[in-house]
Amino acid sequence: MWWLKNVYAVDPAGFSGRRDILIRGGKIEANAEGLSPEEVAERAGREPVETLNGEGKYLFPGLIDAHTHLREPGQEAKEDIASGAAAAVKGGFTSVVTMANTEPPVDSRGLVEFVRAQGVRAGLARVYPLGTVTKGMRGQELVEMLDLKEGGAVGFSDDGHNIQNSEVMRLALEYAKLTGLPIVSHSEDENLARGGAMHRGKAAARLGLKGIPSSAETIMVARDLMLAAETGGKLHLAHISCRESVQLIREAKERGLDVSAEVNPHHLLFTDRDVDLFNTSLKVNPPLRSEEDQEALLVGLLDGTLDMLATDHAPHVWEEKARPFSEAPFGIIGLETALAAVWQQLVVPGKLSPERLAEAWSLAPARRFGLPGGTLRPGSPADLVLFDPEWRERITPDNLASKAQNTPFLGQELRGFPTMVWVGGETVLRGRRLYPAGEGVRRE
Amino acid sequence: MRMFKDLLGLEGLSPDEIRHILQTAKPMKDVLLRPVKKLPTLRGKAVYTLFYEASTRTKTSFEMAAKVLGADAVNIGVSQSSVNKGESLLDTAKTLQAMQTDLIIIRHSSSGAAGFLARHLEAGVINAGDGQHEHPTQALLDIFTMREKLGDLNGKKVIIVGDVLHSRVARSNVWGLTKLGAEVVLVGPPTLLPPEMSALGVKLSYDLDRELPGADVVMALRLQLERQQAGLFPSLREYSRSYGLDRARLRATGKDTLILHPGPMNRGVEIASDLADGPQGMVEEQVTNGVAVRMAVIYLLMGGTTNVVA
Repeated sequence: MWWLKNVYAVDPAGFSGRRDILIRGGKIEANAEGLSPEEVAERAGREPVETLNGEGKYLFPGLIDAHTHLREPGQEAKEDIASGAAAAVKGGFTSVVTMANTEPPVDSRGLVEFVRAQGVRAGLARVYPLGTVTKGMRGQELVEMLDLKEGGAVGFSDDGHNIQNSEVMRLALEYAKLTGLPIVSHSEDENLARGGAMHRGKAAARLGLKGIPSSAETIMVARDLMLAAETGGKLHLAHISCRESVQLIREAKERGLDVSAEVNPHHLLFTDRDVDLFNTSLKVNPPLRSEEDQEALLVGLLDGTLDMLATDHAPHVWEEKARPFSEAPFGIIGLETALAAVWQQLVVPGKLSPERLAEAWSLAPARRFGLPGGTLRPGSPADLVLFDPEWRERITPDNLASKAQNTPFLGQELRGFPTMVWVGGETVLRGRRLYPAGEGVRRE
Repeated sequence: MRMFKDLLGLEGLSPDEIRHILQTAKPMKDVLLRPVKKLPTLRGKAVYTLFYEASTRTKTSFEMAAKVLGADAVNIGVSQSSVNKGESLLDTAKTLQAMQTDLIIIRHSSSGAAGFLARHLEAGVINAGDGQHEHPTQALLDIFTMREKLGDLNGKKVIIVGDVLHSRVARSNVWGLTKLGAEVVLVGPPTLLPPEMSALGVKLSYDLDRELPGADVVMALRLQLERQQAGLFPSLREYSRSYGLDRARLRATGKDTLILHPGPMNRGVEIASDLADGPQGMVEEQVTNGVAVRMAVIYLLMGGTTNVVA
């Protein structure tokens, strides 16, 4: 049993404050203000008690990342589920939702079960696959949504591609009602976005790079909201990047639509003014937009229009990114740096509360995708993150657990990292070192 | 004066650095006009041209410039398609490094490609056009040509008309001309001159005829005909009527305005023959000056000082 003493516990489903937390039998045994040794001993019974002084540390429910690309099967040179799950745990994520745009895409039950099995074998973060919406991600025929759900899919997405055919999107929102799972939309009008390398604006004009206009996103956000309204379907909008989208989503929520949305940390932390021709780690889709967009995203995150934070962890091989800007692939890895960067740049200056951060990165995705976690209530699974706001670490290729290094923080020192992580009560990170569970011994 | 390994663009140069290159180009032009066009200055040095986009005049101009200076000019044959098919630019850079190259002249369809090469090479790099980003030697030869005819460019009005959006020539000229005090106006249809081009810090206009009065220089950009297929303008006819230069239209300037064009010209589209071949047309001057300016750039990057060739 673990006794976490006097830790600042942040429970988005309850209260925050100095607490003593007990972990026992894979669950949160107690969450109380100051436990006496006698009480602890009584709860422990014959189990040995490991005591940890939580002074100056935060305890969050294990973070849940609703948008990751772990690249397995098919692109294991970029990342695999084991390395991605390791990166997740190092960054404070006890659960990750994986995107289906692998090779082959996760469009059958067998592949859903494979991804889950690989997650269990890795023995680190919990891995929840999304299936594709359409067979082969071709944007035409729907997948066997019911079968995929039985295999463990927690939603459906053709992420990486937009479903350009509005009728197919409408049918997907209708049919997915049978499953109760959300359709995750990668909102992008391909004709408006084609050939673009960064946000269409002054920075792109100056650099001579083809721009992707905000309208490439907002047109599809508007379309998908209209289809969700018409069908009553369950819609989740991935990686919202511009202010017009935030406004559309706000209005849709006021009308009571079953819609949720996510924002990626990089869109909150960088703008198109940070882009130069050589730092391809800032090449991402949707692109880093203007300062006005960035402000609107933060407002949207604070007022709940944007329900959740999600990394869109998108690993690539170094050589793929070591190209001229317009030729490099889109994507930023985020699992290992996102929490530290958001903490340092948004929480420390007071722009974002630890409570909202924990809510947006655990409770909100847990509720939307029907996953356990997101709370510190007694009886909940002990997926927990002990966060040390003073822990400093330099981001180098050597200390990244991810196979990839396409992060804009490479070479920089960040401050604020998880020092312990539990998944289902098992310690998987201790003192920044990983402790994978034995093969197949745990969970499911 | 800073010492440079590379010339990647004019945006990062100071006005004095630009003037220094232009000053150096003057004696180079004298050499070029001699019956025996050969200097021993760079004997034993190897200059490589690496053109991923088709080009006749720019590549020839660089090769000529290198040879007049006594360097060996080697062309590395790359087809346009090798960007996607062949080895990566990074591997090409490593190969060139291993060949003990002294200077690489690169043209590439990706913005930033020259800078990318420069960051991975000890050898110097000259940008002969990278995507829609910069084409510094073109702008330098344009500015050299203008200064030869007009003297100091401070306060002179220069109109650049055409496909500004996709033009690296326009971008480099804006940086260079504004640093030397010229007033630049960019003119074109809205589809080729979107509002974000205001990032370049100069006036934007859709109306050529309104801008012409008082213009000292009008530069027509080459119109890529495939832009019509992409829907950026409806027809050559309508384009030419709105933005094509001819002698009658140019009377509105009220001056003997210089007409520049980076070539190759679409005669009858962006420029009429009567103008291109007339006394105001600078196209051939530009070609000659191009060699001189490129000699100056090669020479300075390889460590030369101005007085050696005087």
